[in-house]
Amino acid sequence: MKKSGIKINGNLIVLVIALVAVVGVFSLLNRNYFTTVNMVNILIAASLVGLVAIGHTYLIIEGQNDLSPGSLVAFLGVFSALLVSKGVSFPITMLATMVIGAVVGCCNAFMVNQLKLEAFIATLVTQSIMRGFAYIICDGKPVGITDETFIWVGKARLLGLPFSVWLMIVAFIIGGVILAKTRFGRSVYAIGGNAQAARLAGMNPKRIVTISFVTMGLLCSIGGIVYVARLQSGQPAANINLEFDAITAVILGGVSFSGGVGNMMGTVIGVLLIQSFNTGLNMAGIPNANFWQYVGKGALLLIALTADYVRKINTEKRLLAESKKNR
Amino acid sequence: MANSLEFRHITKYFPGVKALDDVSFVAKSGEVLAFLGENGAGKSTLLKTLNGDYQPDEGQYLIDGAEAHFKNPHEAIEAGISVIYQERQILPALSVAENIYLGRMPTRMGMIDTGRLNYMAWKIIDDFELPISPSAKVHELSIAYQQMVEIMKSYSRENLKVICFDEPTASLSDAEIECLFRIIRKLRDEGKIIIYVSHRMNEIKRIADKVAIFKDGRYVTTVDAKTTPESEMIRLMVGRDLGDIYDNLDRDKQIGDVLLEVKNLESDYVDGVSFQLHRGEVLGFSGLVGAGRTEVMRAIIGADRMTGGEVYLEGRKIACKSPAEAQRLGIVLVPEDRKDQGILANLSVSGNINISLLRENSNQLGFVSQKKEAEAAARGIRAFNIKTPSPDKKIVELSGGNQQKCIVARWMETHPKVLILDEPTKGIDVGAKSEFYQMICGFAKQGLGVILISSELPEIIGLSDRIIVMRNRKVSGEVMREDATEPKLLSLGMMEEDAK
Repeated sequence: MKKSGIKINGNLIVLVIALVAVVGVFSLLNRNYFTTVNMVNILIAASLVGLVAIGHTYLIIEGQNDLSPGSLVAFLGVFSALLVSKGVSFPITMLATMVIGAVVGCCNAFMVNQLKLEAFIATLVTQSIMRGFAYIICDGKPVGITDETFIWVGKARLLGLPFSVWLMIVAFIIGGVILAKTRFGRSVYAIGGNAQAARLAGMNPKRIVTISFVTMGLLCSIGGIVYVARLQSGQPAANINLEFDAITAVILGGVSFSGGVGNMMGTVIGVLLIQSFNTGLNMAGIPNANFWQYVGKGALLLIALTADYVRKINTEKRLLAESKKNR
Repeated sequence: MANSLEFRHITKYFPGVKALDDVSFVAKSGEVLAFLGENGAGKSTLLKTLNGDYQPDEGQYLIDGAEAHFKNPHEAIEAGISVIYQERQILPALSVAENIYLGRMPTRMGMIDTGRLNYMAWKIIDDFELPISPSAKVHELSIAYQQMVEIMKSYSRENLKVICFDEPTASLSDAEIECLFRIIRKLRDEGKIIIYVSHRMNEIKRIADKVAIFKDGRYVTTVDAKTTPESEMIRLMVGRDLGDIYDNLDRDKQIGDVLLEVKNLESDYVDGVSFQLHRGEVLGFSGLVGAGRTEVMRAIIGADRMTGGEVYLEGRKIACKSPAEAQRLGIVLVPEDRKDQGILANLSVSGNINISLLRENSNQLGFVSQKKEAEAAARGIRAFNIKTPSPDKKIVELSGGNQQKCIVARWMETHPKVLILDEPTKGIDVGAKSEFYQMICGFAKQGLGVILISSELPEIIGLSDRIIVMRNRKVSGEVMREDATEPKLLSLGMMEEDAK
């Protein structure tokens, strides 16, 4: 019996090797890559992707998806910056931002559950609308912040790591434990495996999907606030393609697009992998590096999807081989 | 022309089952060869490996002595092999002629030549002596004529050699069946190889010349349809006398007071259904597929919306809005379609058993106790004799019968009052079937109310204390066990226009 929540499997080992390889290669290309400062920078950059990837881990295991986090984070960031600049206190701002995030999550869930839209398309709607509102509420101009608590959130450090990184670590632990150990986590796997069978077995798939979308909304609120605190301004054009990085990380980490399979540890390594890659590409001294990044990320997603496909085929082959043995 | 189709050592595996096991025999032209076997005996799978829908893991097909291999159904059709399925595979929005010549309609200057198309189709329709117009839209036709369109589509190919029918009469009336048989005989007399899959004995007697018998994925033998007695065919098909299994069941039990009462139940799929279920009773539901049996149960447990009527459990009025609510009240359903509605393919045996016990297995914070899960899984595996190397094995690695036992174990662990079993022995082998029969009697003896939906008449007659027959969304009759015979249930279940 496996007692530990973290199961060491072949997939995870391959991922760790890939991570070491990526860090190794970029360290050779640039001396400044493998330094404490740069490693912390990678963690900081990874923190927002990490938060969103937690939400994606749940949703993709359920067989859902979410394309709205990038614009939602931008909108909520601008929204929180606006509120504090209008004199609203930081705690109230935080609360209001989280409420809005949760409401947007509810809207996504409504479209998926009640209007029976594919999550991909439903959240594409939200993506466009939220990006629009991000520009509209600030007339397209970045909103600076002066609130001291807000700025402190962006600057505070503990043991050399900033608040955002700690937040990601804590969120990963909580998200991982819930997924692996609780009733809710079990339900997530069940509805991702077969929503119809899960419903007949006494689950409420719509409720679980709703909770997951709302959680994603909350993660985006927190992510948006911390992001703004770090930059000390709310930027309506920020975080484009955030969901792309998060989804790539989740799929790299072994969550299957067909649902029902995956775990949080894979996502952790997937996030570190994609951020090490992004930062490395920027530092490798390639001309037009930030444009090449798009090409690189696309390739990475293709690799992740291919790996997902190969895993699926291998599982089917293994099952067939088992059946032949059983008879 | 002496065409032949030889099956040589065909073997096909699916996760959890050896669906076809070294099947070898020859079908000849000029005769109708029926495939006879129980559900899950491999008849349909064999057709699908023939026409390239599935690839056989071992073995090959020989047409007129030459090896044939099809990567997909399209290649098979091109080579003159057609399969007519239960579900229609035609395009309802197109006309009869367009369907017949789909993908190869005659053209003039790049445009479809409708006049010639309709004329070509009319010639075939005339050949078949059918009263339909080539330009009629297919969705305006009856189910039977839609099927005819499919047959004509196959027939319109010059090189048609083999035509297979997979349970073609499932939704046809007697007159329509006669029309179908006339056409099958015509095709036979033209020298086509005809394969006819069915588990309706009387039809096989009427249409088939030879009968190939299958059991548990293996080819048993071929017998002459006209001279072989029915009982002999059944014996070959089930491999043992099922009568013994039913006779040896433990029926020493008390039927108690009313447990579940349904009054005038209405949903989008059923009209005014009423019945009572007693403690310790096995209540059978018989009728044709699509008569509404499953739908009654789905409405009771809240899987479908109830639009009218009342349901009482132990005298208390209930109205379940979801299967979860029904489960809390003690009404559970083992669904008909194991793969799509029963098992959670991504989870282990333990995960599948425990999925309905999450509340019982977890504390107030929602943390699931692995100890409790392991105990429940061990209990279920022992109680239902589930053959698995470990509780952590993926459920899909088990055989169909053992998968079904996991689903039953899942529900019995919740200590239900009413257990609904929808076609519980579909696609499982005979050995596991008799285990299920004993289990079902055991549940009733424990005082549960058991509802058994089954399309296999011997099964429903052999197990039920009382049988309710449904026809066309309504209850059409009720028969006590002592009075139940196959013809009686059949006549109650048949559509009105069929009744003489």
